[in-house]
Amino acid sequence: MKKDVTADATVVLDVVNLVVHFPVRRGWRRRTVVRAVDDVSFQIHRGEIVALVGESGCGKSTIAMAVMRLLVPTSGNIVSGGQDLALLRGRKLRAARRRLQMIFQDPFGSLDSRQRVYDAVAEPLIIHRIGSSKSERDEMVINALDLAHLRPPERLAEMFPHELSGGQRQRVAIAAAMVMQPDLVVADEPVSMLDVSARVGILRLMMDLRDRLGISYLFITHDLATAWVVADRIAVVYLGRIVEIGAVTTVVGAPSHPYTRALLDVTDDDSGEQSLRVLKGETPSALQIPSGCRFHPRCPRYLELGGPDVCRTMDPSLDAVGEGGDDHRCACHFAKVST
Amino acid sequence: MNVLNVHDLSVEYAMNPGVLRAVDHVSLVVESGEAVGIVGESGCGKTSLGLAIPLLLPANATIASGSIEVSGEQVVGRSEVEVNLLRWTKVAFIFQGAMNALNPLHRVDAQILEAISAHEPDVPKAVAYAKVVELLNLVGIATKRARSYPHEFSGGMRQRVMIAMALACRPALLIADEPTTALDVISQAQILNLLLELRRTQDLSLVMISHDLAAIKRVCDRIVVMYAGIVVETGTTDEVLGRSSVVASPAHPYTRALIQAHPSLRRERSLSEGLAGHPPDLSVAIQGCRFADRCPDAQSLCREVEPPTITVSPGHSATCHFALGEAS
Repeated sequence: MKKDVTADATVVLDVVNLVVHFPVRRGWRRRTVVRAVDDVSFQIHRGEIVALVGESGCGKSTIAMAVMRLLVPTSGNIVSGGQDLALLRGRKLRAARRRLQMIFQDPFGSLDSRQRVYDAVAEPLIIHRIGSSKSERDEMVINALDLAHLRPPERLAEMFPHELSGGQRQRVAIAAAMVMQPDLVVADEPVSMLDVSARVGILRLMMDLRDRLGISYLFITHDLATAWVVADRIAVVYLGRIVEIGAVTTVVGAPSHPYTRALLDVTDDDSGEQSLRVLKGETPSALQIPSGCRFHPRCPRYLELGGPDVCRTMDPSLDAVGEGGDDHRCACHFAKVST
Repeated sequence: MNVLNVHDLSVEYAMNPGVLRAVDHVSLVVESGEAVGIVGESGCGKTSLGLAIPLLLPANATIASGSIEVSGEQVVGRSEVEVNLLRWTKVAFIFQGAMNALNPLHRVDAQILEAISAHEPDVPKAVAYAKVVELLNLVGIATKRARSYPHEFSGGMRQRVMIAMALACRPALLIADEPTTALDVISQAQILNLLLELRRTQDLSLVMISHDLAAIKRVCDRIVVMYAGIVVETGTTDEVLGRSSVVASPAHPYTRALIQAHPSLRRERSLSEGLAGHPPDLSVAIQGCRFADRCPDAQSLCREVEPPTITVSPGHSATCHFALGEAS
């Protein structure tokens, strides 16, 4: 089994058969359910960066929210630090959450505009009652700001969010996460609202923290090119299910699932031809997940093969592809074997 | 004939105190049927340039110098009423995040109909409605979905509606500010394909403003790179950004840094050095080259003398002392 040098064998997060359903009302008295996350399993090792990639509405953010226990999963286990977060409540949940931190997409919305940088970073310490004195907390905050390359930290600590650029705000969010000394950081599209120049800096910082402190990331993005540069492994999500997962070089270099292929086609910025082969239609609603393989109504391979019955009737399981052991898995009846 | 002829344009914002020159003596020509992409970081003046063309600048902005001709008609100095006649019919604008500008209370077809009847009041309603359906079909929305409300559409579909609306009065020029930025990858690709198709079938000229080099490369013939209010490089997209058979040869270090800052599946799995720092404050005078503070190759000459615009090859120029390798 291939293993990335930076990741060691310790599992920091083990998500097993995660299911998240949201009850909704359609019209008067008709109740139904949105299957936002439908049987998702994956692991993240210490120091590893796993990217969840997919279109909007595919459920990748819901997976992140469930991992953070910002919502209660319908079923499944979220194991971290020997505890199943899915079962925890109240004080125990809060204690377990210390080791998991989250960074959001919008650095303009995630900071309180009336709060100084110091207070934003110190707030989690106060909530979790960390640090016995003010001076001890001050030191922790300054260290976290320094770690996030907000320099000089003493001066930055006194600033308000409106005095900062988008990149600096995202660094404050990172500092607020780092002050808790987490094992895992869930980053939901952390750079997609930033300018190109700020993006590289934030990604570098995140990778630098991984290298120095062994922090793991669940990195959520719709951009495969970003996932390509930062992630060790990629999980491609379609309509609430992982359809392909594997080492980044395998998934990008030898994709097995036709949906991964389609995402790669539109991400490749030098395909030679101007007009792209693009999937038709939009992601179907998670209210009405198609029968059999949920991708078959849009699947180019299904069309190519003349519409085999199995795709319409049987939901494919996420099985190992080729000789790569469990490393590379794909949920397609006609998975291409990577070479 | 040129669809757009911007000459020596400067746009200034009144600040308190002083002024900020967001666009500084910029010239831009778009030929009929051509698609030009404007790229750069936020705050480099690309949106101000785009907004100036149909005179849609905010109240605190003034056009300090230069002229703008749209389909041969001068825009600068015209009254609001006169410019209104040019908007939509000669030049249409799709704003950043425009898909959120649809009125949630009205059906999509009614909103496009309103746009048509506002500009062509004499057209009978039935004829105008037929046009609405034709426009929606043109952008890939089925007739049966014409009577939907905006909330029934995804972001990509709403962007299609905005494009249909922009095309309602058959403008010669469409200015699109970040048309794909808020969309996910598949919708982005669909919208870019649509723009390409419209260029071919509708004889449309396009100015596309974006920070997404991949999108520009896909749709545009020519690229204009802006930095700190000026054009630092212009050339064909093939020459500046490369295409499968053509090697990219950007001449300005800023363009090179922008390309490097963009993650690509075609390159190695590593993060570039990227672009450290920020664009300069435009409310104070800058001596020498505007990019010198962030430029990896800056020499003492760069900090003292403003660089000339040097022709690298026919149709390709860069505003850099070292555009040809050596100081000139």
